[in-house]
Amino acid sequence: MARLARIAVVLAALVWSAGPIAFVVLSSFKDNRAIFDFPPALLFMPTVEHYVALFQQWPDFAGTLLNSLIVTLGATALATGASLTAGYVYARHRGRTLAASAQFMIAIRLLPPIVVTLPLFPLADWLGLNDTYAILILLYAAFFVSLGTMILKATIDGIPEELDEAALIDGATPWQVLVRVIMPLAASGMIAASAFVLIYAWNDYLFAFVFTTSRAKTAPLILSEMMSSLTGVDWGVLFAAVTIQLLPVLAFVWIVQRWLVAGLTSGAVKG
Amino acid sequence: MLAPAHALLLAALALPALYVLWLSVTDSSYGSGGGFVGWANYAAIWDDRYFWRALRNTLIVIHIVIYAELVLATVMAVVFAGVRRRRLLISVILMPYAISEVVAVVIWKFLMDPDIGAVARPLALLGLPELHWASDPAAGLALVSVVSIWLHLPFSFLLIFAAVLGVPKELHEAASVDGAGAGARFRHVVLPAILPTVLVALVFRYIVAFRLFSEVWLLTGGGPARTTEVLAIYLYKQAFSYANFGQGAAAGWAMVVASLLFAAGYLKLLHRRSFARG
Repeated sequence: MARLARIAVVLAALVWSAGPIAFVVLSSFKDNRAIFDFPPALLFMPTVEHYVALFQQWPDFAGTLLNSLIVTLGATALATGASLTAGYVYARHRGRTLAASAQFMIAIRLLPPIVVTLPLFPLADWLGLNDTYAILILLYAAFFVSLGTMILKATIDGIPEELDEAALIDGATPWQVLVRVIMPLAASGMIAASAFVLIYAWNDYLFAFVFTTSRAKTAPLILSEMMSSLTGVDWGVLFAAVTIQLLPVLAFVWIVQRWLVAGLTSGAVKG
Repeated sequence: MLAPAHALLLAALALPALYVLWLSVTDSSYGSGGGFVGWANYAAIWDDRYFWRALRNTLIVIHIVIYAELVLATVMAVVFAGVRRRRLLISVILMPYAISEVVAVVIWKFLMDPDIGAVARPLALLGLPELHWASDPAAGLALVSVVSIWLHLPFSFLLIFAAVLGVPKELHEAASVDGAGAGARFRHVVLPAILPTVLVALVFRYIVAFRLFSEVWLLTGGGPARTTEVLAIYLYKQAFSYANFGQGAAAGWAMVVASLLFAAGYLKLLHRRSFARG
């Protein structure tokens, strides 16, 4: 009895988590009639007609994917680099001012993203930053630099300081120590720190919605346009677009799962 | 070496936050100019029934979402802790964490469509009332809650799962030897051990849940007739649709304070517990 209940919970959890995603991915390969079949068929003749139609009807889609990729890589590099240097300082130095600045990092992160759009929108407009990659990269990196710093501080705490000292005695500069000694040993922390910002930047809707209109428009934004299309939603095309947007990040999460879990349970909680 | 991280935070968060404070006491219409008006914006949102409706909607949705998540996450964590070779299962549970809010809305909008939805139709066959979430505010907010739970459950699950795995095996065994059943073991062994983590998860989720925007914006747009607005939507509309940055900024601060008040209650509880445990 208890065993049956356990199996039921596991099955329900799996269907709840994977079912909707499997549904949309499978549906993107069904023809227009089969998409609406009830109950949904598991076996069907796959077709790529929606994928062909997608790139014909939405020629901008490929461009928005590229924009998403550029913004995501930029934000990930910026956040991870800034987190690594800051994490290194917090791991190797102590002091009241430093402790206060670390607390500031965590506290300021409590601010809701939508609140900062109010002052930043007119400012970005004035600086000519609206609808550019730069504003999105800056915002995504800023919102994840606190978590990244805490994860990397925890990682670097575990690297013996004697290694730094030996390198310094050999005449290395602090930057060389960071790049040649710390970085290779902190790889797992860097993967965890970069994974969070990467997922967020690839998927974000709010900042892209407020700050971009055409040139820097990202994939989630064009998906929302397809969904609210005035001529009615073409579900097949929308499912194809959704599948293309979600498969890379889904694969990424599978690959980095181990570091993601470690990062969540160390950096997020103890930090 | 601290400079890049702190420069990012100052430019994108700290200075804008101070500027929002200033905006909230001006009659600025577009983020610049505007004269000092004192508390007028706060008084205006205090008298605005749409603000109170947005606050009420926010509180209802986030409480449904957070508590449903915690209960589901705890049940799943306890069950999964007893499953062997679970690595693949955990990866499947994590999947929604990879999904964009926009994509989640696309999927659930289709699945829950009263006429064509593959989830809505079986529910209707079971005799449940149809969810006309596009026209019925309560149904709209219910669907928002479902999407929100779906997106955030992996996070709550991971936190609580790690805590359940951390409960010492000896405690389980000792309780079993003393004749405690599964229910009693959960209540007296597992629950007390994971409670601090549950409280941490609560604090995290309160702070993040108050930001709720995309799910509502993409599903109902706050409509019909502003009945499903939440705080973030109210703020966005005040500022960007009605060009009233002053009131938007005041609503922003109201949002920050409300989320901190709720989180603080649980933080205090957490604090007291950790002292009680010595």
